[in-house]
Amino acid sequence: MFAGALALSLLTVVGCGGSTSSTRSASSADGQPPVSAPVAAPEQPARADNRPRVVFLGDSITAGLGLSPEQSYPTLIQQKIDAASLGYHVVNAGVSGDTSAGGLSRLDWALDGEVKVMVVALGGNDGLRGLPPEELQKNLATIIERAQARTIAVVLAGMEAPPNFGQTYTVSFRRVYADLATQYGVPLIPFLLQGVAGIEGLNQRDGIHPTAEGARTVADNVWTVLRPTLKKS
Amino acid sequence: MAVRETRASWRRLLFFFVCIAVGVAAIVALRSIIQSVRAVFGTEAKSLIAADVLISTNRDWTPEARATIDRRLSEYGATAQTETVETPTMVRSADRSRNVARMSELRAVGPEFPLYGTLTLQGGAPYNHSLLKGQGVLVRPELLTALNVAVGEQVLIGQVPFTIRGVIVDEPGRRVGDFSLGPRVLIDTADLPATGLLTFGSRARHVLLVKMPESGIDRLVKTLQSDFKEAFINARSFRSSDDEIGRDFDRAENYLSLVGLVIVILGGIAVSSVTRVFVLQKMHAIAVLKCLGSTSIQIMAIYMLQVMVLGFAGSVLGVGLARVAIAAIPYYVTMPAATTSLLAEVHYGITWSAALQGIGIGVLVSLLFSVVPLLRVRAVKPSLLLRDESAASAGTDWTRIAALVLVSAGLVAVTAWQASSLTVGLIVCAGFSALAIVLMLAGRLLVYVVAPLANTSSFPLRHAVLHLSRPGNQTRVILLAVGLGAFFIVGVRTLQSSLLAEFSTEMTANAPDMFLMDVQRGQAAGVTSFLQDPAHGAGSFRLIPVLRARVTGVEGRETQLESFEDVRARGSLAREYTITYRDRLEPNEELAEGRFWSGPSTEPEVSIEQGIHERFQINMGDTVRFDILGRRLDAKVTSIRRVDWRDSRNGGFIFVFRPGVLDDAPQMFISPLKGPVTTAARAKFQSDLVAQFPNVSVIDFREILLTIQDVMSKVTLAISVVGGLVLFSGALILVGAVAMTKFQRVYEAAVFKTLGANTRTIARMLLFEYGVLGFLSGAVGSLGAVALSWGVSRYALDIPWRFFWMEHLGGVVATSVLVAAIGVLSSLDVLREKPLLTLRAE
Repeated sequence: MFAGALALSLLTVVGCGGSTSSTRSASSADGQPPVSAPVAAPEQPARADNRPRVVFLGDSITAGLGLSPEQSYPTLIQQKIDAASLGYHVVNAGVSGDTSAGGLSRLDWALDGEVKVMVVALGGNDGLRGLPPEELQKNLATIIERAQARTIAVVLAGMEAPPNFGQTYTVSFRRVYADLATQYGVPLIPFLLQGVAGIEGLNQRDGIHPTAEGARTVADNVWTVLRPTLKKS
Repeated sequence: MAVRETRASWRRLLFFFVCIAVGVAAIVALRSIIQSVRAVFGTEAKSLIAADVLISTNRDWTPEARATIDRRLSEYGATAQTETVETPTMVRSADRSRNVARMSELRAVGPEFPLYGTLTLQGGAPYNHSLLKGQGVLVRPELLTALNVAVGEQVLIGQVPFTIRGVIVDEPGRRVGDFSLGPRVLIDTADLPATGLLTFGSRARHVLLVKMPESGIDRLVKTLQSDFKEAFINARSFRSSDDEIGRDFDRAENYLSLVGLVIVILGGIAVSSVTRVFVLQKMHAIAVLKCLGSTSIQIMAIYMLQVMVLGFAGSVLGVGLARVAIAAIPYYVTMPAATTSLLAEVHYGITWSAALQGIGIGVLVSLLFSVVPLLRVRAVKPSLLLRDESAASAGTDWTRIAALVLVSAGLVAVTAWQASSLTVGLIVCAGFSALAIVLMLAGRLLVYVVAPLANTSSFPLRHAVLHLSRPGNQTRVILLAVGLGAFFIVGVRTLQSSLLAEFSTEMTANAPDMFLMDVQRGQAAGVTSFLQDPAHGAGSFRLIPVLRARVTGVEGRETQLESFEDVRARGSLAREYTITYRDRLEPNEELAEGRFWSGPSTEPEVSIEQGIHERFQINMGDTVRFDILGRRLDAKVTSIRRVDWRDSRNGGFIFVFRPGVLDDAPQMFISPLKGPVTTAARAKFQSDLVAQFPNVSVIDFREILLTIQDVMSKVTLAISVVGGLVLFSGALILVGAVAMTKFQRVYEAAVFKTLGANTRTIARMLLFEYGVLGFLSGAVGSLGAVALSWGVSRYALDIPWRFFWMEHLGGVVATSVLVAAIGVLSSLDVLREKPLLTLRAE
C-alpha cells in the first residue's frame, strides 16, 4: 500500500524530464516523501533471538510507513505475544511498495531461520495498481504452498480494492482471499484494514496508511485470527 | 532664446536628439515585447492547469469547507468555476466476450471545463461538452488498443455502459509533474453518480478550477492555504512554482524583468553621456552669453528648456522608432515553421505603460544629467573666452553636491519604478555606483600605467596616450558608458546562455519517456528480450536493480551511531532508502572523493551521495551498517558522489553498492526506456508487455514530456529573441554614446592638421586611444558581468552558476573593436574636412 510514496519514488528515480516534484534536495532523492521518514525498525538484535519466529510478509502497512517502529502493527503483535508469554519472536518483513509478485520473489529471504508462522499481508499494491486478480491469486497460492511445504503455518490477511475500481474488480479481488483460505485451509483475516480504511481520523494524510491509532485496530484484527494458531513454545 | 540657440547648433542637437531617440526606442520596444511575452507565458501556464487557481482535495468536500471556499471566491471576485473529479478505475469493453480490463484515469468534467486551453480530439473535431452528454466518453488512444474497441462502441465504467465519442489528443489541465498508471477517460460529471464508483472508501481527487481577475489570485491562494492549514485541501495558482516547470516559468520571468531593468539603465547611460558631452560643448557659448550680461539663472533656464524639449521630442521619436521596429519583428523571427507558435501569439504592439516609461525616462534622465554640469554655469567666467578650459573650481560647492544627491535620488526612483521594488532599485544603483567607481579607478590606473608611453617615438601613440590624461579628456566618460554597457550586455548574454543550458538539460530529445516498474528477478531476462525485439519498437532501455534498505548504524571518524535508535535521532537518515548496485557512474554523477570500484567484490563497499556525507558527517572509510530486508550488511564507504538530481532520468541513488554482495538479495528491476514513437505503437507495446508480464506496471510520461518540451521551447525562443534584441539595441546605444564624444576631438584634430599631421596619423592616434579605452571598459565590464551572472544565477534565478568564457572573452574583443571603429569612423568627416573650416566653426 504505497501509491503516494510510489509515485514520488518512481518519478524521482526516473527524473521525468524535470517535471517532478523537487528532486533537488537529497532527502527526497530516492523518493520517500519526507513524512514517511521514520519507518518500522528491523529488529536488529533479534537476529540472535532463538525463539521461533512469526514472520509478517507484507507491504508498507506492515512496514509501518509514516509511523515509528514501535507503532507498527507487527511490533504491537510482539507486545501481545510477550504479554501472553507465548515465546515467539516477530519478524517484520514488510517492504513498502511490494506487490504479491515481489513478496513471492523474496519469500526465501524472508523465511530465514526457524519460522513457525507466517502472516501473508500482501495485495494492497496489486489492488492500487489495478493488477489482474488472477495474478494475485496465483502469487499468493505459490507463497502459501511453499510455506506449507516447509510446515510453516500460514495466516492470510485479506485486502480490498478501492470501490472506485468498479464492482467487477472489487468483487473478484475480494474473492481471491476467501477462495485461497478455503483451498489451502488457512485462517483468514477477512480484511486487514477493517474499521480503519475510509475513516478520517485513523488514516494518514495520504488516506491510505493507518495512523498509530489505526495500526492498533489493525493489530487487533490480526490478533483475533493469529492468536489461536500460536501454541505456547 | 532657447529656440535661437537651438537653431544655431542644429547639427549637434540633431545628433543629441537621435541618441536619445535610440535609447528610448530600445527601452520602449524591449519592454513592450517583454510585457507581451510575459502575458503569453501566463496563458501557457494557465492552460497547463486549465485554470487560474486550483483547489483540490483527496477527500470528499465537507460542507463547511465548501462554504469557506465559496465565501473566499466571492470575496476575491472569481468569475467562473467548475469542478472535476478524478479517480482511477477499471474500464472494460461492454462486449462481455472480450474479458479485458484496463486501469484508466477517469476524469468527470462539467460544461465549463476547461477554463483555459483547448482539448484537442483526433481528426480535428472541436471539443464540446455535449459530446459527453448522455453517457458519452472521450478516451486516449491507448485504451482503444488495450480493450480492442473503436469509436462508437461501448465500454463499461462501473456497471454502466458509455459510448466512445472521440479520441483525446491533447488535454489541458493534465497534472504535470504527476504520472498516471492508465490512460485518460473523460466523462460528464452528471453521469458519475450512476457509475457507483464514488462511495465509502473510494479514492478520488476533487478539483475546483477557478477563473478570476489577476489581482486577487495570489491573495486568494494565500488565504485559502491559511484557511485549510489543517485540512486535506490544497490551493495553488497557475504561477505556483511547486514543480520544475513552474520554477522554469519563474526563472524566465525573472530573467525578462532583469533584462527590462538593464535596458532602462543602458538607455539611461546613453542619454546621460550624450547630455553631458552636449552641455560641456556649450561652455563657450555660455561664456559669451555671460559677457553679454545674462544671469546664471537665465542661462540655466535656456539650456534646461532646450534639453527638456529635445529630450521629450527625442523620446517621442524613440517611441515611434520602437513602433516601427516591433512591427518588423514578426517578419524576421517567425520564418521557421516551428517557431511560429509563441511569437504568433505575442501581441506586437507598444504597450502604453512601456511608452510612458520610455518617455519619462528619456526626459528625466536627460534632465538629471544636464542639471549637474549646468550648475557649473555659475562658475563659468567670461574670461573663459580668452583663456582656455576651466580652471579647477575652488572650495566645496554645496549646491552642486545637493544637486548630485538629488540626481542620485532621481535615479534610484527611476530604477525602483522599473524594478517595481525599492530594494531592488537600491541594490542595482549601489552595484552600479560600485562598478562606476571601479571604472574610474581603472581609468586613473590606465593613465598612470600608460604614462611612460608618452615618451615613445611614435607620434600617434604618444599623442593617443597624452589624450587620455589631458584636461577635458574623455577617458572617464567612455569608460563609464562603455564599461557599464559591456557589463550589462555581457551579463545578460551569459545569463541567457546559462538559462538556456538549464532548460536544455530538461529537454534532451533521447530521454526515456516510459518507465517499467516491478520487474521481478525471474522476469528480467524475459523483459530484456522483449525490449530488444525490434518488433516491439522500444528504443534504448536499461534494467536497474533496486532494493530497499535502512541504515541502522554508522561507525566512523565523526559519526558514531551504535543502534537504530541513534540513527533515528538523526532524522531522515533513518528512513527506508532505495538502493542499487553497479560498477560505473551514471552521466549525472561525478566523483567527489575516493575511487569508484570496478568489478565485483565480496567485501561490501558503498558509495554515498555528497548530501548525506555533508549532513550526517559520514566520511570516506567509515562503515555504515545496513539492514537489507532483515539482514545486516556492514559496508565501507569508499567513494562520495555528487549527483545532479535535476537530471536523474536514469536514477538517482543516495547509496550505490559495489556488485558482489547484493546479487542474491531480493530485488526487483525498474526500467527507464525510450518507448516506440507513434501513439498506436506505444499502446500496442504496453498491452503486449502487460499480457506477457502481468505484474509489471508501465508508466508512460511521453505526453507530459511533450507538453513540457513544447512549453520550454517557446520560453527558450522568447528568451533568445529578447536577448538578441538587447545585444542589438545595446550596441546601438553605445555607438551613439561613443560617437557623441567626437565633438571633443574635432578641434584637436583640426589643430593637429594645421601643424602638419596627415589624416592617417590622426586616424591611428584615434584608433589607439579608443581601442585602449574600449579594451579597458570591455575587460572591466566583462569581469563585472561574471559577478553579476553569479549573483543573479544564485539569488534570483536559482540555477547553478555556469561560466561561459566565450561570452566574456567575446565581450572584451567586441567592445574594443567596436569602440575603436566608432572612434575613427565618427571622426571621418572631421579628418576629411579642411582644418580651417573646423577651427572657424569652433
